[in-house]
Amino acid sequence: MTIEFISEEQREALQEVANIGMGQAGASIAKVLGEFVELSVPQISAVGAAGIPAALAALAGDGIASAVRQAFIGELRGEAIVIFAEHSADDLAALLAYGDALDGPASRELLLDISNVLVGACLGGIAELLRTTIGFSAPSLLADQVASSQLLRADGISARCALLVEVRFGIEKRVFRCHLVMLMPDDAVAALRRALDRFVEEL
Amino acid sequence: MDTAADPGDSCALLASLVERLDVGIFAVDRSGTVALWNSFMAIHSGKSSTDMLGQNLFAMFPELPRPWLEKKLESVFVLGNNAFTLWDLRPYLFRFANNRPITGGLAEMRQNVTFLPLRLSGGEVSLVCGTLFDYTDTAIAQDKLHDAIAALHREKDAQAQLIAKLETAQNQLLQSEKMASIGQLAAGVAHEINNPVGFVNSNLQTLKKYCQQMLQLITVYQGAETHIADVELRREISALTQAMDVDFVQEDLPELIKESEDGLVRIKKIVADLKDFSHVDQTDWQYADLNAGLDATLNVVWNEVKYKATVAKNYGVLPPVECLAAQLNQVFMNLIINAVQALDESKGMGTITLSTGHQDDWVWVEVQDNGLGMSEETRKRLFEPFFTTKPVGKGTGLGMSVSYNIVQKHHGRIEVDSVPGEGTRFRVWVPVKQALTVD
Repeated sequence: MTIEFISEEQREALQEVANIGMGQAGASIAKVLGEFVELSVPQISAVGAAGIPAALAALAGDGIASAVRQAFIGELRGEAIVIFAEHSADDLAALLAYGDALDGPASRELLLDISNVLVGACLGGIAELLRTTIGFSAPSLLADQVASSQLLRADGISARCALLVEVRFGIEKRVFRCHLVMLMPDDAVAALRRALDRFVEEL
Repeated sequence: MDTAADPGDSCALLASLVERLDVGIFAVDRSGTVALWNSFMAIHSGKSSTDMLGQNLFAMFPELPRPWLEKKLESVFVLGNNAFTLWDLRPYLFRFANNRPITGGLAEMRQNVTFLPLRLSGGEVSLVCGTLFDYTDTAIAQDKLHDAIAALHREKDAQAQLIAKLETAQNQLLQSEKMASIGQLAAGVAHEINNPVGFVNSNLQTLKKYCQQMLQLITVYQGAETHIADVELRREISALTQAMDVDFVQEDLPELIKESEDGLVRIKKIVADLKDFSHVDQTDWQYADLNAGLDATLNVVWNEVKYKATVAKNYGVLPPVECLAAQLNQVFMNLIINAVQALDESKGMGTITLSTGHQDDWVWVEVQDNGLGMSEETRKRLFEPFFTTKPVGKGTGLGMSVSYNIVQKHHGRIEVDSVPGEGTRFRVWVPVKQALTVD
C-alpha cells in the first residue's frame, strides 16, 4: 500500500531535514551518554494502519523485543515508537548512571529514559530545523519483552495510515541497538507539508 | 489581557501562583544549586525555601539517587527537552510521607516528576524545573485493582478446579448408582428365580423317587413276562417294548434326572453368586470372605471369560475382612474384565491368575493376565476418570477410577505392575480391620 502523502519535493526536503536533524541529535546524545552513537540514514515511508505492526515487527527482526511510545505535540503531531532488541538496552545502564543491580522496574525505567533522550534529541532537532516547536508527553511502555510480532496490535491503531520515519541506533563495541520510528497520522501530515514548504522556501 | 496592569503585578501573581500551586515546584541550576522551592515542596520536605535557596540539592537531600538524577538533569540541560520519572517504575524521588497518616496505605508519597528546561536568558537552558505530582491515591487504587484482579483470577481457577472435581464426582456417582441398580436388579431376579427353582427341585426329588420305583416295578414285570400264558398279550407287550425302546428309556431316565439335578444345582449356585455379588442387603461394613467374593464375582462374569482365557486360582487362607463386600466385588469384577480385555487374542487362549494372600494386618487379592501390558502413558493415567484405552463405546473410562475410590474408602491401595507385551498384575491391598475412623 502506497499513499501519496507528500510530493517528491517535500519528501526530499524531509529526507534532508531528517539527515541534518539526526546529525545534530547524534552529537547531543553523545554529550548525554558520553559515547558516540551511530545513526543510520533515516528511511521515509508511508504505511496503512494494518501495515504498522508488521513494519515494526520487520524492524525488530525475529525474537524478543520491547517498545516505548511517546507522543509529540505541537504543529507537528504524532507518536514516536522506540523498539529495543531483547535486553540490549541493559547495556546502557551504566551510561545513564543506573546501579549494577537492574531489577524489573529499573530496566523498564531505563528503556523509558533512553527513549526520552533519543526521541527528544531526534524529533527536537527536526522541529528546530523546521522552525516549529514541539512538546513531548511522558514516555510509556508499549510492550515489554514480547515476540516482535506482538509489539503493536493492528486493531488498536486509530489512524488510517501514517507517515513513518525510521532511524537505527547503535553504539560501537556495544550490543545496544534500537530503532526509532516517528509516526504521523494522515490528518497531521498537512502541517508537516506546510512546514516543509516553508523550509524549502527559506533555503 | 484586559487586566494588563503593570508588569510588577503580573510577576507577583505568577510568583504567588507558583508558590501556591498544589504541585511540588523546584528548580536547580547546572551545579545543582536550588533556585526555586515552592510551598508544596517546603511543607512535604520540612525544609523551607529559606533553607533551600542557594543550597546544593544533593547536599540537602543526601538520600536522592545522585548520579542517576544528575545524569537526568544533564540530559535536560543538554537536549533542552523534558525528562520524566513515573511512580509505577520509581515510586518516589523525594521521600515524602504520604498524606494518609490515619487511614494508611502506602508509607511514602508516590510521585511523578517532570523536569522542564527553563531558558531565562537566550537559548541556553539555565535552570531545570522539577514539577512533582502526588500519585499516592492512584497508586493505592491501582494496587487495590491489582489485588482484586489477582483474587478474581485465583477464584476463577479454584472454581474451575471445583467444577472439574464436581463433574468427576457426579460421574462416579452415576457409575456407582448404575452398579447399585444392576446389583439390585440381579438380587431381585435371583430372588424371583429362587422360588420356582425351589419347587422344581423339590418336585424333581419326588419325581426321581417315583421313577426309581416305577423302573423297579417295570423290571419285576419284565421278569414276570415269561409267565404270561396269553400269546397275543405277550406279542403286544413285546411290540410295545420295542416301539418305545423301553431298554433305552430305562437307561436314560435316571441320567435325565441326574442332569436336571445338576442343572438345578448350577442355577442355585448362580443365583447365590448373584446375591453374593450384589449384596444389596449388606450396605454396612461386614466381615466377609474375600476368596468367596472373588469366586462369586468370577462366576458372574464367567461368560466374558470362558472363551478367552483359562483361569488359574492360587488362593491363600484369608481371615474375614471388614469391608463393603459388594463394592470390593465390583473392584474384582473391573480387574477381571480389564484382564480379559487386555489379552492378546491373536495368541489364542490367555491365562488369568487369581491369587490371594495375607500379610500381617493386610490381605491382598491379585489379578494377573498375560496380555498386552500397558504403556507408561497408560500406567500414569490409569486411575484418571474417563481415561480409557478401549474403543469408543466399549469402556466408560470410569472402572478403574471407581475401583480406586472404593479401595481408598477401605484405606487400602492398588499396586500395578505391567510389562508391555508380557502382561499386567494388579494387587489390591486392604486392611483386615478398618481403623475406627469417622468418614
